Amino acid sequence: MTATAPVTPGPRPAVRRPGMTIPGPARLLRLELRHNAMLWLLPVPLALFWYNGYHEIMALPPMWNLRAMTLQNRLLLDLVIPVTGAAAWMGSREGRRNIADLVVGTARPRWARQLATWAATTAWAEVACLACVAVVYVMTARQASWGGPLWWPVAVSAAGVPALTAIGFAAGAWFPGRFVTPLVTIAVFFGLGFGTQAASGDHSYWQISPLTAGAFDIGAAPGVATFYHYLPDLSIAQVMFTAGITLAVLGALGASAARSGPRLRWLTAVITAAGLAAAGTAVALAGTGRLDPHGMIVIPALHDAASNQPVRYAPACSRTPIPVCVHPAFAVFLPAMTTAVGPELTEVAGLPGAPARISQVAEVYQQEPQNGITSLAGVPGGSAFILTDQVPGEPGATSAEFAADLEDTLGVKLIRDVILGGNASAAAARPSQAQLAVIAASVRPGAVWLGPSAADADAPEVSGRPLLALSSPAARAAHRFSALPPAAKHAWLAQHLAALQAGQISPAQLP
Amino acid sequence: MNVDITDLTRRFGRNQAVAGVDLQAGPGVFGLLGPNGAGKTTLLRMMATVIPPSSGRLRLLGRDPGAYGPRREVRRRLGYLPQNLGYYPGFTVVEFVEYFALLKEMPAARVPGAVATAVERVDLGGRAKAKLRTLSGGMLRRVGIAQAIVNEPELLLLDEPTAGLDPEQRVTFRALLRDLGQQATVVVSTHLVEDVGAACSEVALMDQGKIVFHGTPAELTARGTEHGTGDAPLERGYTAVLAAARS
Repeated sequence: MTATAPVTPGPRPAVRRPGMTIPGPARLLRLELRHNAMLWLLPVPLALFWYNGYHEIMALPPMWNLRAMTLQNRLLLDLVIPVTGAAAWMGSREGRRNIADLVVGTARPRWARQLATWAATTAWAEVACLACVAVVYVMTARQASWGGPLWWPVAVSAAGVPALTAIGFAAGAWFPGRFVTPLVTIAVFFGLGFGTQAASGDHSYWQISPLTAGAFDIGAAPGVATFYHYLPDLSIAQVMFTAGITLAVLGALGASAARSGPRLRWLTAVITAAGLAAAGTAVALAGTGRLDPHGMIVIPALHDAASNQPVRYAPACSRTPIPVCVHPAFAVFLPAMTTAVGPELTEVAGLPGAPARISQVAEVYQQEPQNGITSLAGVPGGSAFILTDQVPGEPGATSAEFAADLEDTLGVKLIRDVILGGNASAAAARPSQAQLAVIAASVRPGAVWLGPSAADADAPEVSGRPLLALSSPAARAAHRFSALPPAAKHAWLAQHLAALQAGQISPAQLP
Repeated sequence: MNVDITDLTRRFGRNQAVAGVDLQAGPGVFGLLGPNGAGKTTLLRMMATVIPPSSGRLRLLGRDPGAYGPRREVRRRLGYLPQNLGYYPGFTVVEFVEYFALLKEMPAARVPGAVATAVERVDLGGRAKAKLRTLSGGMLRRVGIAQAIVNEPELLLLDEPTAGLDPEQRVTFRALLRDLGQQATVVVSTHLVEDVGAACSEVALMDQGKIVFHGTPAELTARGTEHGTGDAPLERGYTAVLAAARS
């Protein structure tokens, strides 16, 4: 200081701004918002999400259910390190800055002061969380062919953020050393990760983890929450759990404040107890979950039977000889599907027993006694099919694999149903050699298993696919028949299908 | 009496930092002198309600700070500058003082004006928007004083307030103390006897956790006329009292 102004005796008149006065707690929060570590760390969670979650989510097919549930699965994991770290850093601030003596002697209770700092940290963390959600949802809104945003997965993630900040903040406040920030961050990161990995089966308590989106071993599948409404049962339990953790930790933080008043001690004890009760109840509820046939978790105590009703929708259909109709959420895959099974559709269109149209139906799941999930993929009749979960964009799934899978399932099924005469299940036990030859000739090579010594008597087909020995009469007949032009094959089938179905045609009689 | 202390003690484990202090102080500037480890800071921390006493009776502003409600009321009317001032480097001067005004639960409408006044009174108006990390040690000390006086406290406790201030600032600060002491009780703990001589109307000298002298600066000076050592008269009184207490 080089110049010193003369001392002014007595306070000067206060300079007052006109207009509304901001209340003290709001002013405190404003100050904390301005000087919060989370504000400066905002680019970190956004960058982590960009490199980890965003690319994975946006590579998924543009379906709301897939992206929303995957978002829940990834977002908190990307946020946990910067958010918990910033909260621990802010929690330990008074201790690190040696300001405890100064603030302890002030009138505002320590808990209120801490809540303001925690709230500011949480507010910025929520900004990061919701910014990530907004980007994914805006992009999905521009790409998706059907449906709208799912908000429960967002609610779970958003409710998880205060829990992370509360844990980090409390750890920082209780142990204000320089190592608490990395330690609590690592502990929470691995706790969250391992807690999610520990889940198994529909009765697992561990599915309470806010990262768990959907049923174990199914998770975010294209058909889940598409044909039927998204069931919020597990999400409700997860929100209850994270809110309970938040309350319990914040209550304990207040209860630990030395020399707090009796009213505050009572209040914080009640909050802690309520938080623990909510979190415990949520875990218990998660343990009562059971797998819904449509791939979601039902918690009986939270379940609304009205949500069991299927979603109404107008299917998207192809302009093929036999229209293929899918749920509009899958409309983006329709061109690939018609390309994959177009020849089969053309070949059987108009034949006796051929379906007028083929419609996609929902997959039906069933929990096995242990961890496994059974997908009841069999669909009676030739007019319905289940689309594979491995649609292009799913991790590890390619367009080529998708097409091959369609040929292998939908194409084979369609041909089999027509050739075997609508009695596929009974006839499949022992189809005739001529029937096998026609099926083999009508589907793609990948759908036929050719071996040098196939025991055609015992195992004429595997999983619906003809199994033919290379040198067998059936294989030679299939080779001949497949060489015919599509119109010739169609004409022959139109004339001889009834006889073929009746087993009255031998492989040698095939053109 | 704004400060009424009877047989106050404070132990830290086996160490008795304050050993039976009796003290009464009304409005005015009260100097607390003593060598290092005499217990001045511990006594001030108890008076600031930062730590509770181990035993004895402490009444501040007519209230018992041992109970939560009265303690909170005392804290609203209290200003405290600790010996080691911690601060948040990212805060500006105004923000830091406002932060403490809010923690002292000042009415929100009064806060902006009170903050501006406090900042001006410590002559930091020109640096009001400066981040604390950019300030010198002396300026930070003045920020600490500003936060202590922002609520116009009835009881102001200052632990080594002039540490780090240059002579010109100390002169200014003493004037501020005298001004504040007209209405409030200002307790100043210091090593610098000249501060006491210039600003205090009453002085106590602590040694080994006890008050060994209580009177006016003139009375302390008088104790040193025959036996004390030091350059200034007050210093001679200080050393004479300490020597007598230890003999």
